[in-house]
Amino acid sequence: MKLLQVQGMNKRFGGLKAVSDLHFDVDKGEIFGLIGPNGAGKSTTLNMIDGSLSMTGGKIFFKGHDISGLSPYKRAGLGIARVFQRDVLFDSFTVLENVLTGLHLNSNLGIKDALMPFSPGTRKKEQDLENKAMELLDFVRLSDRPGMMAVNLPHGDQRSLGLAIAMATNPDLYLLDEPLTGMNAEETSFMMETINKLRDNMGVTIVVVEHNMKAVIGLCDRAAVLDYGVKIAEGTPSEVTADERVIEAYLGTEQDVVSS
Amino acid sequence: METSLSFVLQAIANGLAMGGLYILVALGLTLILSIMGILQLAHGEIYMIGAYLVYYLTSSLGISLYIAILISMGAMGLIGLVLERGIFRPCKGDFLSVITVAIALTLILRSYAVAQFGLFERTVPKLASGSLVFFGVAVPKDRFVAMLIAAAMSVALYLFLKMTRYGQAMFACAQNPEGARLRGINPDLISPMAMMIGCALAAAGGAIAGSIWMLTPTMGTLPLVKGLIIIVIGGMGSLSGAIVAGIFLGLMDGIIPVFFGPVVTSIAPLVIVVLILLVKPQGLFGHG
Amino acid sequence: MDSKRLLSIFGVLLLIVFSFAIAPFLGNPYWSSVLIMIVINILLTSSLRTIFILDEVSLGQVGFTLIGAYVSALVVMELGLSFWAGLILGGVASAFIAMAVGYPFMKLKGIYFSILTLMTTEILRLIAYSWKPVTGGQYGLTGIPSPNPLTLPGIGEINFSSMNNYYYLALTIVLVCLFIMYIIEKSHLSRKWIAIKDADNLALSVGINVMKYKVLNFTIACFFAGLAGGLFAHYQGLLSAGATGRFGVMTTLNLVIYMVIGGKSKFSGPIIGTIAIMLLMEFARPLDNLRPMLVGAVAIIFVLLLPEGIAGLPVRLKSIGKKYVSGVLR
Repeated sequence: MKLLQVQGMNKRFGGLKAVSDLHFDVDKGEIFGLIGPNGAGKSTTLNMIDGSLSMTGGKIFFKGHDISGLSPYKRAGLGIARVFQRDVLFDSFTVLENVLTGLHLNSNLGIKDALMPFSPGTRKKEQDLENKAMELLDFVRLSDRPGMMAVNLPHGDQRSLGLAIAMATNPDLYLLDEPLTGMNAEETSFMMETINKLRDNMGVTIVVVEHNMKAVIGLCDRAAVLDYGVKIAEGTPSEVTADERVIEAYLGTEQDVVSS
Repeated sequence: METSLSFVLQAIANGLAMGGLYILVALGLTLILSIMGILQLAHGEIYMIGAYLVYYLTSSLGISLYIAILISMGAMGLIGLVLERGIFRPCKGDFLSVITVAIALTLILRSYAVAQFGLFERTVPKLASGSLVFFGVAVPKDRFVAMLIAAAMSVALYLFLKMTRYGQAMFACAQNPEGARLRGINPDLISPMAMMIGCALAAAGGAIAGSIWMLTPTMGTLPLVKGLIIIVIGGMGSLSGAIVAGIFLGLMDGIIPVFFGPVVTSIAPLVIVVLILLVKPQGLFGHG
Repeated sequence: MDSKRLLSIFGVLLLIVFSFAIAPFLGNPYWSSVLIMIVINILLTSSLRTIFILDEVSLGQVGFTLIGAYVSALVVMELGLSFWAGLILGGVASAFIAMAVGYPFMKLKGIYFSILTLMTTEILRLIAYSWKPVTGGQYGLTGIPSPNPLTLPGIGEINFSSMNNYYYLALTIVLVCLFIMYIIEKSHLSRKWIAIKDADNLALSVGINVMKYKVLNFTIACFFAGLAGGLFAHYQGLLSAGATGRFGVMTTLNLVIYMVIGGKSKFSGPIIGTIAIMLLMEFARPLDNLRPMLVGAVAIIFVLLLPEGIAGLPVRLKSIGKKYVSGVLR
């Protein structure tokens, strides 16, 4: 079943074409890679899927519904979660509070709870949310420091926390923006393991933007390769890395196709 | 017929003179805003102190008006340097801190002026006496001199920004602070210069206003509000936008009172600004 | 409940008792009027800080106070409603207008938002200044009645035309408002506001309707600003909207100073700052015209040396103390 369908997506910034006539489908339960050299339009594409950037043209279908004009928070409500590369977490919060904020959609806290935060009913609701948050922290191995300020976590753990925040929205589709950037070998393998576990245990679908080809091969079932906003190849990782146009696109960049 | 023509011509002359003063204030404001990223809410007070300094120099020391204006510009420029170093640079980057020190500065300068010169209105000598006659209508000469001074200073600023190395660096910094930093321009050298030029221009504006109208300790509020209106209409950081918007605003302020009451005159530009902010916050002449 | 929390609750109760008890000891209407203005300004500064939770600096709170003041005065004078109805309606009118303009307003950030609110306040003031049939124009509204006497069981009739009694009334109302604001500060609502301040795109991506919560923030803040206006109107008995008066730009700018000196990131900050600076202004009377200079100097010193304000002082002293102790021990 097709979970996500991108049809004829276009984005122009002034005269510059950032993404041109992009088509691809993502099946349910798949890990799908969006790859390409820097400036290829991968993050722009991701921004249009989660709704933070409007499209110049084209349509996006999620679970068969046209979501093209919806604002990001509505898409989140339908089951799309985004893990950003930069704004990974909320700086003012502890690790636990970060995940609690992610649980917004699953909480039924209303205006009554705002006016009676210390009432037993509200306390019970918040306690339930805290338990749920701790389970999620357990999944990314952060349950040992719920009270720590999130900004004080090491980089790799911050990215894991970002994933836990996304998991808190209980999504069907994850959009991961360069989840492995800036990580050391150990952190990388833990993150890859976590992403795989996420898919295998919960049957969710994942779109991952990555320029590290090695990671893509280890992670993705299928991938689309972008260059200057145009899709130049699509297929299994081994197919696309063997594609001549892909090799050409990566030539001249500092990056080797397979071994970076 | 003749009286209405005379009204309109005088209104235009008045408006252009006011526009010139607003431009002098707004150029400084926008220079400081775009280079240092700070909203200098005390800029009107610099204008006011500049005017009072001219008053002091002319009335107590008997210095001639034009020399006094130059001295005042230099003195306020120096004060600008001190302010940049002493209070604005340390809180750079924090919006609330900048606003707070600017408000504090407003309180300090205004209360100084009240304590030193009192609440009574003061006057300084006229820029020029007599009138020029156009189509049989007499327009006071000092309005023309004010326009000329404002125009000359705008041109001088333009030449400085285009022709000198320092000015070019400053211009680059105003257009794109990040890009300028990447090109090796040190903002810590440019910022004091921007503050100095801004304060000197404000002092000139204040002195001219004091000579055409009167001096009061609260005279800085109006040009500050007008300056903010101009930088919104012209687009924040755009110097040419500020000049066009300044002339436009000055003409509005000169001509609207001929047909409407003072309230419409004050409200109309504010409403325009609010609408621009809501619809096109980058300004009518801004880019991007 | 731990002992520290008990202690702070006890401390707050003590302060409340003290603030009620102080008025008769000061024993003259002048000091009562100072105290009334302090509590009204506390409410206003707190409303400014509510918006600052979103990291936005409103320079227009006084405009919403103006709406509250005129609406509450007019419904009492023209429609014959009671003080209480006037007060609430003033707050509601202000909140309603805030909600109506909230969506386009809250889209703007930083410098744009500040300038927008500043200009809006001036527009509101000029409207009040010129709309003669309704607001009395430049002569203003006069003869706004003080609240009707209240009969309390066991105490008897309380007449609010006395300064002292009006102070009690204003203090009670402001304490109730502060309590509500404190509750909101501790609830999930303010957690959402902080999340939006930290990273609005991430907040959106976890499903938070960012604009809705921002507009709600603005509406709540302006409700309290409007309420403060009603309190002011019935205390003063007359309203006018001159440029240098109560509704002029300088008033909002002063609120910013109160908030920063008190401590922008603490709930107690606006309360402490307003009391401290307004009392400073009173005790520095001999300085006369130079008093604003003193306040300005204090504000600059705080921004540069103590950015967390008076409320941040304990933490600051503790860290200095620790340094000193470790220095001595070493």
